[in-house]
Formats: sequence, structure tokens, C-alpha cells
Amino acid sequence: MLLFKGLRDQLLSPLQAVCGIVEKRHTLPILSNVLMQKKGDVLTLLATDIEIQITTSTIAPGSEDASITVGARKLQDILRSLDDGVEVSLVLEDKRLQLKSGKSRFNLQTLPADDFPRMTVADGQSTRLQFTQAQMKRLISLVQCAMAQQDIRYYLNGLLLVAKASDLIVVATDGHRLAYASETMGEPLIPIEVILPRKTVLELSRQLADTEDPLEIILTPTQARFRFGNIELVSKLIDGKFPDYERVIPQNHNKILPLNRNRLLQSLHRVAILTNEKFRGVRLVLATDNMKIMSSNSDQEDALEDVEVSYNQEPLDIGFNVTYLLDVLNNVNDEIIELRLADSNSSALFTIPNDDHFKYVVMPMRI
Amino acid sequence: MGIIHPLPDLLISQIAAGEVVERPASVLKEVLENSLDAGASRIDVTLEEGGVRLIRVADDGKGMAADDLPLALARHATSKIASLDDLEKVGSYGFRGEALASIASVARLVITSRTADSPHAWRIASATPEPAALDRGTVIEVADLYWSTPARRKFLKSAATEYAHCDEVLRRMALARPDVHFSLSHNGSMKRRLASADFPTRARDLIGEDFFPHARAVEASAGPLRLRGLAALPAYSRSGRDEQYFFVNGRFVRDKLLMHAAREAWADILHGARHPAYVLFLELDPSGVDVNVHPAKTEVRFRDGRGIHQFVFHALSRALAAPLQVGDVPAAVTTELPASRYSGWQRSSQGSLQVSEPAMRQYFDFVAGSQPASAQSADMAKIAVPPAPTCGTSPTLGYAIAQLHGVYVLAQNTQGLVLVDMHAAHERILYEKLKTHCDAGQPSTQQLLVPIVLTATDKELATTADHAGALEQLGIAISVAGPRELAVRCVPSLLAGGNVAELIRSLLAELSEQPASNVIAARRNELLATMACHGAVRANRSLSLPEMNALLRDMEATERADQCNHGRPTWIALSMNDLDRLFMRGR
Repeated sequence: MLLFKGLRDQLLSPLQAVCGIVEKRHTLPILSNVLMQKKGDVLTLLATDIEIQITTSTIAPGSEDASITVGARKLQDILRSLDDGVEVSLVLEDKRLQLKSGKSRFNLQTLPADDFPRMTVADGQSTRLQFTQAQMKRLISLVQCAMAQQDIRYYLNGLLLVAKASDLIVVATDGHRLAYASETMGEPLIPIEVILPRKTVLELSRQLADTEDPLEIILTPTQARFRFGNIELVSKLIDGKFPDYERVIPQNHNKILPLNRNRLLQSLHRVAILTNEKFRGVRLVLATDNMKIMSSNSDQEDALEDVEVSYNQEPLDIGFNVTYLLDVLNNVNDEIIELRLADSNSSALFTIPNDDHFKYVVMPMRI
Repeated sequence: MGIIHPLPDLLISQIAAGEVVERPASVLKEVLENSLDAGASRIDVTLEEGGVRLIRVADDGKGMAADDLPLALARHATSKIASLDDLEKVGSYGFRGEALASIASVARLVITSRTADSPHAWRIASATPEPAALDRGTVIEVADLYWSTPARRKFLKSAATEYAHCDEVLRRMALARPDVHFSLSHNGSMKRRLASADFPTRARDLIGEDFFPHARAVEASAGPLRLRGLAALPAYSRSGRDEQYFFVNGRFVRDKLLMHAAREAWADILHGARHPAYVLFLELDPSGVDVNVHPAKTEVRFRDGRGIHQFVFHALSRALAAPLQVGDVPAAVTTELPASRYSGWQRSSQGSLQVSEPAMRQYFDFVAGSQPASAQSADMAKIAVPPAPTCGTSPTLGYAIAQLHGVYVLAQNTQGLVLVDMHAAHERILYEKLKTHCDAGQPSTQQLLVPIVLTATDKELATTADHAGALEQLGIAISVAGPRELAVRCVPSLLAGGNVAELIRSLLAELSEQPASNVIAARRNELLATMACHGAVRANRSLSLPEMNALLRDMEATERADQCNHGRPTWIALSMNDLDRLFMRGR
């Protein structure tokens, strides 16, 4: 039974779109497979890890309908190692899937499609949002570095998506720093507040294109569905109470330093080499029109960078985890970034001049 | 008529006996303590059927006069204390004045005693003393234990088990008082005869021979506190706590605080499932410790628990940390022997090796079989001396010869062959370095943007308040956020990435039990150990001779270099003697 016959890339690119979420190790073997369903001239590919599910499709002329599951990574690896532009065919025969291309033959083990777990589309009231892919991609890229990873406060292992008035807001925090980004839409939005799981966010940032093509988000109380291109991504939502980001963002920090982002980034990169490898502390020492960036490590080595700034308030000595500073500087593109400080025990706020769509709060470290 | 009535005297004593006289061994303990309190220099113990049939303790102490004998059997009558003041700084083993009365209520007790100035001895069995014959001191005979309370008798184990318990009691007493002569006979056969001796000899008699080659002397004092004794390096450990002897002012105790402090001292070098072995004597001003906590007096309470914990922990850590010592490698002995006879061995060695002359002689000495090497370590005074450079120029671990399969370094020292697990050794060296760096200066702390809130029990809230200062020193800022909630606002930077809530909980749990906690240091050390493991040379990395020698020198200079971070040994030595035995040379 012929499943697919066509150019390699016609099969590989949709396969790559769904394979990203397939976990390498599983206790449930079928989850490392991809579900292939042929109906009419369309071959649908679907992969899931039970939390997220991605579906996409490709054109596969042929008459018979069939569905089967096969090891996603192996199939992807085989296709990737074939030459560009070769013709590939997939034939299902006696529970084995044969891939043929030129002089190559591969017989793959399959598992029945009926056993494949699929996420059920949640009922309940749904909310629709519509943006461009580029808008969402930009928002995610600004804050995703601040998401927690395997924190026991499970609600931090993700990204908060808020629609408020006509603003779309994303917030991420790992408890040490917090990133906030927003985008003003033309029309008022239906208010929502959901937490997207970390894996979903990373997958979205990988798959979304930097184009004006539409992205449709359908939210139900427990599920989010993203539709873009010919991909549909369904994700569970994290059920939890995200910290109140508005309380965390300081309002009255009066020591404001405009900094050249690129130069600061490079200074920090250099100084970071001699920080303690485990907690990577750097000190910023502010004096009139001068900032010293200092670090030292356990081998008693130290680094010092002088940065010219315009600053005319009292001296200040404050420490940070340099990783948190590098993260923010790497993720914004503007030439000038503003650092707002109060004292050495209060948080620091990074903003972009004349733009309140981006904020990054980081707590100091006592070194 | 009321339902409450006073109990008869005998019953009161029998109830008290339930606490004090648990088994024959507890009788023996009470009687032995009386003998020691009476200033005996020689104590002979005779047991029959594990002490159930008869416990007879004869001492040469100061004895009791005829008038005192009936009182000795009365409840709450004692010569040891007279006022509350005495109780607060009690210096004798006993003070409660109820042991003999309790024993008499559940067994047939006969006391025969004679003071130095009395013309003859007196004997008391029940009410009135009668003249008797005895050279000097006191003889106490406890026969038919629990004859009057058969129900109690059923709880006794076999005679062999009861004997083993009695023997353990005697061992403890004998360890605490090496100056006293002890003998023990059971069912007519002599089991132990311990002549009055110094502590090392006594300890050698009572604790297994295996303990000694690995024992380090502990000797530390701070103000009125003094800790001395012997502690075994991790190379000698036990699967149970059976060789842990802790004495507070000469009294054997099983105290949670002290055992915890000791456990912590070994934590870094001993495998988790093993238990350390030690004999330790803590001396302090009697007013600093309350022994009147439990009738059997195996638990004590310290006025300054935190101070004692820290003192014991640091004293032990220091003793165990000292780099390779004389005790590990027998010191050189001088005996003249023609070196030419063994020149073949010398020639086979590598060119760069410098084996010093006296050390060579020692090897010859071994071959001649003149003196067992371990005899050196028997003398505690010698172990206590800081390590003298073993043999002039030759280092303890010798010089590297080769690398075996990319895993082990082979080296030869003055005694023979040394095998070093290079990864384990390097790991320990890096680990100690990291720890030293981390210990220097204030710990760096990370403030939290979103405080970690944990629900806490009342006990945890109280602990937080009690130990606010200690917590702050550890770099933890914690405050009460609600009636049953704690908010953590600042944590040590090194641990900021982990599960903070769980860390704080275990910290509070330990602080509520113990006056001081090493939870933070232990967690930090775990991290450092991982870093050290990643940084250390791996198997199959070939090392040149200078590199290997550098590793050996680093090991000699590093604390706790004998064990890797997981408590496994980093090196073993095969002396020429051992090697000769393998080849059956000189047989």
C-alpha cells in the first residue's frame, strides 16, 4: 500500500516540523513514533508527548487511505541523509514500512495507528486571538530566557500570556529575574491570562516564521491551540497562579544609566571569564561618570573593565549574576539600553529608552 | 473511702527498679560505679548464668562502716551528694541514692564491707549488720535477680546474651578507667583480666586490633573543654554503631548531640552506610552538663549544646583531616645491615628515585622480622606527635614509576609499592581546594525576586525565630509571611538553582533537633564534589612521570587525601613485606 511518493523535502520538512517535540527516551514506546494518516491526496503527520501535539500535512497523491505509526527519529534521520531532491516512496506492507529511494531500501517496524494516543480537543468556552507570526515570535524571543527550568514552582516553568485592553503581554520569571514584553494591537482584546508550558514556548519560537503570516490562537480553560501555516500545535496549559509581575517591576528607581548595549555586552563577556564558574558574580561599581565592572574567581584571579557612563549620583556598588545580565543584553536589539537602580539591595530594571514595551528586572547578588 | 492510697515502700522500690534495673548488666553498671566512686583500684567481677544467678563485685575501695550499711540499702540515701549545689556539679558516677535499694527490692542482696580503721568487716543481708570476715573494701553479691518479680524475669534473654551485655558494661568502665585493675569471670572461668595500665594499652586490650593501625589520636581543648581519645580513619569503619564510645567526664553516654557532631565530622570522608569507630573522652566543668536526665544516665544535657557540638565537630574534623601521617607508615628504625646485600632491589628501581638510607634499613629490618610495624602506633603519645618527616628526603607516597591501564599510578616509597587511584585522588585534591576557597570570606548570596513561600509548622516557625542569627550567617534571609507561612528572600548563590524549599525544610528540621546544622555546608559540598569530579583527570588520560609525582605531592599536602569524595580509599600500600609474602620469600 503506497503511503507517499514524491520528493524528499516534501516529506522531510513536515516531518521535521512535528518531530521536535518527540522525546528521546520514553516509557511508552509508541510516543517516539509519528502518526501518518493518508486520506485522499493528503498525508497528515502527527506527533505528541501527551502535553503537546503537533499536526501538519503534505500532499501525497494516491488512492487508498491508510494510517500507521513509525519511529519518528529514524525516519527523519534516513530522509535527512539522503541526497537533496531525490524521489522517495513509502510503502506499507505486512506491518512494515518500506522506504525506497534510488538504490536504498529501508524496512521500518511499525505500530498500529489505533494505539496512538491523541490529545482530545478540550471543550468549554474558547477565546480566539489573531496576530502575525512575527509579533508572537518577537515577544517570545524577548522573554523566554527568563523562564524557569524544572522549578518545583511548576507555574514558573512557562510563560504567562496576558491580553489586557489592547495589549498582548508576555512575562517569564525564574524567581531571580523577570522579563516582560508587550505589544499594542489595533483593537481591544478579550482579556485572558494563561501560562504556556516551557516546551510549548520553545517549540513555538522554533516554528514561528518571521513573517506577517497570521497566527491564530484558540484558548480554552485547559488548552491552547496555535494555528499557523499548515501546522496546528495543541498544548496543555499550566494551571497555577503566576506571581504578580506588576508588583515585582519597580517604579521609582531614580538612578538611570543609559548604556551602549553592545559595548556593555562585550565587557561583560570578557569579565565573565574570570567569575566563579558556579554562580558567576560580577560587581558593578558606579562613581561619577564611570562604571567599573569587576569579577574574581576562586583562583584569586580578577578582571576589571572601565565603562564610561553619564552618571552623577552617589556611588553604588552592586553585584549580579552575569548570566542574567548577558541574557537581557543578548535578547534585545536596540543600541541603547537603560539600567535603573535604587541601592545595592534592590532590584535592577533594564528598559529601552522611550519604550515601555520591554522590562527586565533582576535581583542583585551579595558577593 | 478515697481511692488514692500511698504505696508500700517495697513496691516503690520495685517500680524504681523498673527504670534502673533493666537487666543484669544494669545491676553490674550500678555496682561498678559504686566501686569506682569508693576509690577502688582493683575490681573483680564474678558472674553466673549471665548475671541472673549471681553478680559478685569485690573491690578494694574505702568500704562502709557498720552504721552505714542499713542506710546503704535505704531509698534516697547516699554519701555522694548532700545538697542541690552538689547535684549541679556532681563529680561522682552515682548520686541518686536509689540503686542499691532498687536492686535489693528485686534480688537477694548481700553486702560485706570493711573500712580501713574497722577491726573486722560487717555483713548485711536484710536488716541488721553482723560481723563478717573480709580483708578490705566491699563485696556486693546480687543473687537470683527478679526472684520476687517472676514476670520481669521472663523478659530476660539467654544467659549468653545477658553475659554479653555485662561484658559490654565492664568494657565501657574499663575504657574510662584504665588505672583500675579489672577482672571478669563467668561460670567459673576467667574471661578478662585487665591490669591497671595507660589508656592506649587498655584500649588495645578492649577494642579489636584492627582498629589501631587506623586510629588517629584526638587531642583538643578550648577553655574548660577538652576532647581526647582515638578516632578511626575511614579505612576502618563499622556497619553498626558498636564501636562508638563517648565518655563525658568519664561517664559513658549515648548522647544524640555528641553522636551527631561525630557523624558530621566523618560525613565528608565516610561512605554513607558505614559508621565510624571511636573512643572519645569529653571533659568539661561538671556544672556545664546535667547528668540527671535519665535514671540510667546514658543521656546528658549540656548547658551550651551548640558550643559543645561545634567544639567536638571541629576537633574531630581537624584530627581526621591531617594529611598523611606517621601512623600510616611506620617510622624508620635504625639497624645496621650491609646495604650491598640488597643492592639488586635498589638497582631495579628507577633512576630518579631517592630512597633514603634509614628507610632502606627499615625494610631490611622487616625482612629480618625483628619488630612488628604496628607496634609503633600502639603508643598513643607517639601518634599524638605531629607528623615528623618520615625519612628525611623521602615522601610518604614515594615517587611514581608508571601508570597502569590509564587508571592507577604506581609509585614506590621506602616501604614498598603504592597504588593510587588517580581520578579519586585528583578529585579529592580539587574538592579540598574548592572548599577552602568557599570557606574563605563571606558566602555570596542571591536575593530572590519572587520569594519562595513555604507552608510551615509551628515548630518550623519557632525554629526560624530561635535561629535567626545562624540562618543569616548561612546567607539565608527568611521571614514569617503569614500565620503558617515562611518566605525565603535570599539564599546562598551556590544553592540558588536547586530546590530551595526542600533545602530550607531540612535545614529547619535539623536546627530544631540539633543546636547547629551543617545542612547548608553539606549541600554546598555536594555541589563542589560534582564540580571536582568533572574537573579531575579521567581514566585513560596518560600522565607523565612529573605529572604523577606532582599528584603524589599534592596528595601528601591535602587534607583527607586518603579518601575520595565518596569515602573510598584513594591509595593503598603494599609493603615489601606484603610483596615478599606473596612470593613466599624468606619463608
